[in-house]
Amino acid sequence: MFEIFSNWVAAFFTLCIFSFLYKDNPFYRFAEHLFVGVSMGYAIPLTWNASMIPNVYRPIFLQHRFELIFPALLGALYIFTFNRKLNWLSKFPIAFGMGLVGMGVPMSMNAGVLVQMRGAMIPIQDINTFLVWVGTVTILLYFFFSKAHTGAYGKIVKVGIWYMMLGFGASFGYTVMARISLLIGRIQFLVIDVVQNTIRFFGS
Amino acid sequence: MKRTIPLIIVITLCFLFAAHTFIPHKISQDFFDWYLDWVRAIAPFSVVLGIMSMTMNHSARIQRKTPNWHYSIVTLVGLYFTAAAGFIWGTQEGTPYMWIFRNVQMPMGATMFALLAFYIASAAYKAFRARSAEATVLLLAAIVVMFGQVPIGVQMFGEGILDVTQWILDVPNLASKRGIALGVGLGMVATSLRIMLGIERTYLGGGQ
Amino acid sequence: MNFFEKLQKIDRRWIYLILAISIFLPLAFPFNSRTFTTRPTESLYRMIDSFAPPPDTDPVDHNRAFLMSIMHDASTMPELFPMELAVLRHAFERDIKVFTITWIATAAPLIDLAINTVKEEFATREENPKQIISGVHYVNFGFKIPALYLAMILGMGEDIANAIEIDAEGRQLSSLPAMTNIRNYNEMNLVVEFTGSAPGGAWITYARSRFGTNVAVGVTAVSAADVYPQLQTGQLIGMLAGLKGAAEYEKLVEVFAATDREFSREILRAEMDNPKFALTNDNIPYNFKQARIGMNAQSVAHILIIVFILIGNIGYFVQKYKQKQEVQ
Repeated sequence: MFEIFSNWVAAFFTLCIFSFLYKDNPFYRFAEHLFVGVSMGYAIPLTWNASMIPNVYRPIFLQHRFELIFPALLGALYIFTFNRKLNWLSKFPIAFGMGLVGMGVPMSMNAGVLVQMRGAMIPIQDINTFLVWVGTVTILLYFFFSKAHTGAYGKIVKVGIWYMMLGFGASFGYTVMARISLLIGRIQFLVIDVVQNTIRFFGS
Repeated sequence: MKRTIPLIIVITLCFLFAAHTFIPHKISQDFFDWYLDWVRAIAPFSVVLGIMSMTMNHSARIQRKTPNWHYSIVTLVGLYFTAAAGFIWGTQEGTPYMWIFRNVQMPMGATMFALLAFYIASAAYKAFRARSAEATVLLLAAIVVMFGQVPIGVQMFGEGILDVTQWILDVPNLASKRGIALGVGLGMVATSLRIMLGIERTYLGGGQ
Repeated sequence: MNFFEKLQKIDRRWIYLILAISIFLPLAFPFNSRTFTTRPTESLYRMIDSFAPPPDTDPVDHNRAFLMSIMHDASTMPELFPMELAVLRHAFERDIKVFTITWIATAAPLIDLAINTVKEEFATREENPKQIISGVHYVNFGFKIPALYLAMILGMGEDIANAIEIDAEGRQLSSLPAMTNIRNYNEMNLVVEFTGSAPGGAWITYARSRFGTNVAVGVTAVSAADVYPQLQTGQLIGMLAGLKGAAEYEKLVEVFAATDREFSREILRAEMDNPKFALTNDNIPYNFKQARIGMNAQSVAHILIIVFILIGNIGYFVQKYKQKQEVQ
């Protein structure tokens, strides 16, 4: 019985959100604001249990690793973010966290640029590898704005535009599938979890 | 001093970690482990930002009685009641905290995004027009991919539709996304370098 | 106002209603349909399957495992959750050690839900029931705060137990049987990230570049077309693309892992219409075929959207033609 009740609560909030499709209304606004509050409220105890206890409380107070008091104090400086005078103190923990960006330079260069360039420079063995090569080069030329897209150069970059249109078309086709899938999920919930389970419960 | 010290911390750590990428020495690894311990102890405090920001924003709305301020009460009640439920009854399965998540947060989060299905259907009907040759190519590619993804597409056009879809994805789509990916990759490296060299400072607030 | 003008100005709420009905009907009345698999899905299936312990080995001692990084909340659950169920089912069917982790607070209960759903199905099934035990068959590393995302990805390259420390149940990782012979990415040499944005980005940039870790993704269909460059270069060894990817994986697990067979395209084709694997077969639990049932609704909705595009364009061109004639 409690499971049926819970399902109906979930169904009520689902329908509150769907009601926006008809027009904006107090049910939707209520649900929207509650959603924002609950989402943030949910993260607090979880962060406490998953992070504050094992990474701050336990090492300092139980394992007596007192050197960790310094980073804990550094983290506590976040509370000055909204204080106009002491706001600068909150930049210290942010700065400490930004350090890993240094590792990102060589690694992003490798993963985002070099490997992709290597992938674009494979031997042309068949028509498809040739077409991929043509597409990549013409698109890169299209994004080179230091030269006007006119004359023969304009015709070459036009090929890049056609490639991009095909690529965007593929993305659009996939996007339709994605959006429909999300609705399928909600209707599956309403049909299977709510209606069918309720009928089964009261039928038995 | 207020901006210089954080900047020195960022630049020093960035160079040390850039070097760490190429130096698998024990000292380098020990330094990374020390950094990991410190980051672990700093990180949990960042959640305070979210709580403070939301509380201050919505309290101000209530105090000033801005339009629809009543809904801010709903947000704050949701925020503090859910958090309190987690601390009082625990965060395990079967607790009120988990019940709120399963039956309030989850269905609403999922439904918010499900609304997009309706909007894309409406846009398909009212906005997607083959106004130019390029737009026609885009629409045709989209229609082929849409047919190629679903079982009914194969029933209507045979298994050839799968090959055509895969070709669009593997050849023109790959080329177009690679061109864009290279641009994004270079952009990421450039942004990281700007941070590393102290040119990009917006994360310290106050612009340049 | 002529017919085509009226057609152009139809109230959007009628469109919403037609779409809702077209999705509701196939879900309320499921029917059989064929699921064709694609190479990115097959590659991931084969990679995970290769992690299965040899027949004469104790699965707990086996030095292979893979990690599921669950980086989404309920908003993209309809696409990604069926994937997670199918991948977990694959792991549990073939005794492959699997670890789960998230850096998103609202994803933590989704991990529990996915694991518990599959565990319950295994414990209560009539044929070959199986008790799946936390810490032995799988470990849920649980929720870790987002600020530790990069640090932990890099830390796991040296020592997983040191980087993660405790699992979702508060136990020291090093004390768990499932961690036997698993130290870093050399053993846990596959990460599958399920995400609605930036698929596999940090794993490719950091774990793959530095440690050579195999990375695969389960993505929402929106991002699927964007990852083809990474698939071609091998930075991603496989991909599950949206609900279709989930349906494909469900089918592969049903046909091969559940019947203890090795993957083969010939068998897959031969079994295409086998009633044992059909959607209307009530012996297959709903949780293990929900993506395939969803694809039936997807079929109808895609046809509907294409019809919408065609009607909209016909109306547009007829109007344009008439306007041209009036000017002349």
